[in-house]
Amino acid sequence: MPRIVTCFKWVVDQADIRLVPGSRQLSLDRAGYRISDYDRNAIEEGVRLQEQYGGSTVVITVGPPSAKKGLRDALSRGPEKAYFVSDPSFENLEPSQTASILAAAIGPRIEYDLIICGEGSGDLYAQQVGPRLAEKLEIPCITYVSKLTIQNGEVIAERKVEDGIEVVAAPMPVLVTVLPEINVPRVPGLKDTLAASKKTVVEITAGDLGQTFPPCLETTSVLGTTMERNCVKFGAETSDITRLVAALLKEGVIA
Amino acid sequence: MAGVWILAEHHNQVLELLGVGRDLATKQGTRLTALIWDDRERVQEYIDCGADEVLLLAPPASGQPPEAYVPVIVAEALTQDPDIFLIEATLRGKDMAARIAARLNTGLCSECGGLTLDEKEDRLVMERLIYGGAAVQTLVCSTRPQMATIPPRAFAPAQPQGTRQGQVRELPPPPPAAVRVIERKPKTRGTVSVAEAKVLVCVGRGIEKQEDLELARELAGVIGGELCCTRPIAEELHWLPEETYIGLSGLKVKPDLYIGVGISGQIQHMTGIRDARVICAINRDENAPIFEASDYGIVGDLYDVLPRLTGELKQALKK
Repeated sequence: MPRIVTCFKWVVDQADIRLVPGSRQLSLDRAGYRISDYDRNAIEEGVRLQEQYGGSTVVITVGPPSAKKGLRDALSRGPEKAYFVSDPSFENLEPSQTASILAAAIGPRIEYDLIICGEGSGDLYAQQVGPRLAEKLEIPCITYVSKLTIQNGEVIAERKVEDGIEVVAAPMPVLVTVLPEINVPRVPGLKDTLAASKKTVVEITAGDLGQTFPPCLETTSVLGTTMERNCVKFGAETSDITRLVAALLKEGVIA
Repeated sequence: MAGVWILAEHHNQVLELLGVGRDLATKQGTRLTALIWDDRERVQEYIDCGADEVLLLAPPASGQPPEAYVPVIVAEALTQDPDIFLIEATLRGKDMAARIAARLNTGLCSECGGLTLDEKEDRLVMERLIYGGAAVQTLVCSTRPQMATIPPRAFAPAQPQGTRQGQVRELPPPPPAAVRVIERKPKTRGTVSVAEAKVLVCVGRGIEKQEDLELARELAGVIGGELCCTRPIAEELHWLPEETYIGLSGLKVKPDLYIGVGISGQIQHMTGIRDARVICAINRDENAPIFEASDYGIVGDLYDVLPRLTGELKQALKK
């Protein structure tokens, strides 16, 4: 029966990102946070596999103390237990750091057969943490998975590649990154949220990990992208459609 | 430590990486090395296009995925100590790049859309999009090699520079891997080329039924465009092939004209059309975010607007 660990990230809600007026600086002060959308699929897949094959499923996240808010949300989605690896310095981590911290946290203290990650995170979308974590733990890795089953102690996965679908098998323990199309995450109800507050949260501090995690990448700037467009809005009257066609002809983009 | 390395799976991307790689190698006064596993008959072409050395990865045993090359590539990188390593940002390329970077304990800029060499500091300054495309992050890598995955069409392909001399070397075959391929289901390739199309009609969730795609297809037919879609239309509803979805994780396109039909305009999708010359949107919600990022918009029900727009265009273009 598989012991499943799902990783998730507590990320800024993109819908709340604004530009500081008159500049390209981002304003995140009023932004809300949420479990990265891709990780909702990862959590759902862990729970779904547990329902099908038994075993256990736990979640783990790395972040600053403020990421604690994500734990109850994650637990309300079905996992039994959460590990919270936290330190004030675990803010704006780059992927090599996140993967190394996860490996240091999971390796010596969590028994696992299957680790599930989202294909990327909702904020950086670097798509590195899953495969990097597998390398650090020295286990096989299967990325971009759209279908996952377990047979005779092996994971069978359909993974997407440019030229089609590759069906692969790997012995456990193994790490898998999943695509959004793999499932539809359930929406937790009030009962699930109440149940979540009774579940165990294990806190792991930077000190417990006994090492430091220097970054390889350094961010030198983050600037908002601008889309400068005409923003001419027409109605749907016949005269409006005629004006649109005239405008497109004038732009020289149809012939 | 020296040298620029590139790794790509597909011919076009090998040329694109050779283009940017040759430029960097020349500026640094070092050698350009190309790692390939396909198209062996093209080795001389790659040398003519700028490679000083081509490293051939031996064909994997049956049932071995190309990711099995990771330890072979890492072993060679530890011996040769390249300063820069660029990898094609396909799904496979991104997977391999992250694992190579982890084994080499170095940084990796994913989907790097622009890079320059800071010659004073002797380092790459790399750019990529974050927050679904709402911001550009500029990065430098403090460890070596400096690694990046490069999306298709980010750089112009290299041109042959006459007949050049270069070395060719075969790398050892990959060791046995834990992951085995048990089946390959190739994609049935259509003739559509959304990536290269000059005109695109793109459909989103506003289309209610699969058969209603016909309305958008007729519009595309009149203006000589291709039909494409947002991620949910391809991946959740499977109404159109996956290789026709536009966005951060799908195609990034540069058409002359893009017409979005029933698309709200989520940033992940809009990132894929940033470089379109003219963006036009049809949506019944006048507050849909797509209008803020469009040159022209029609606020109206697509079921009412599309047939009339198609008719009007037919008349105007005399088709």
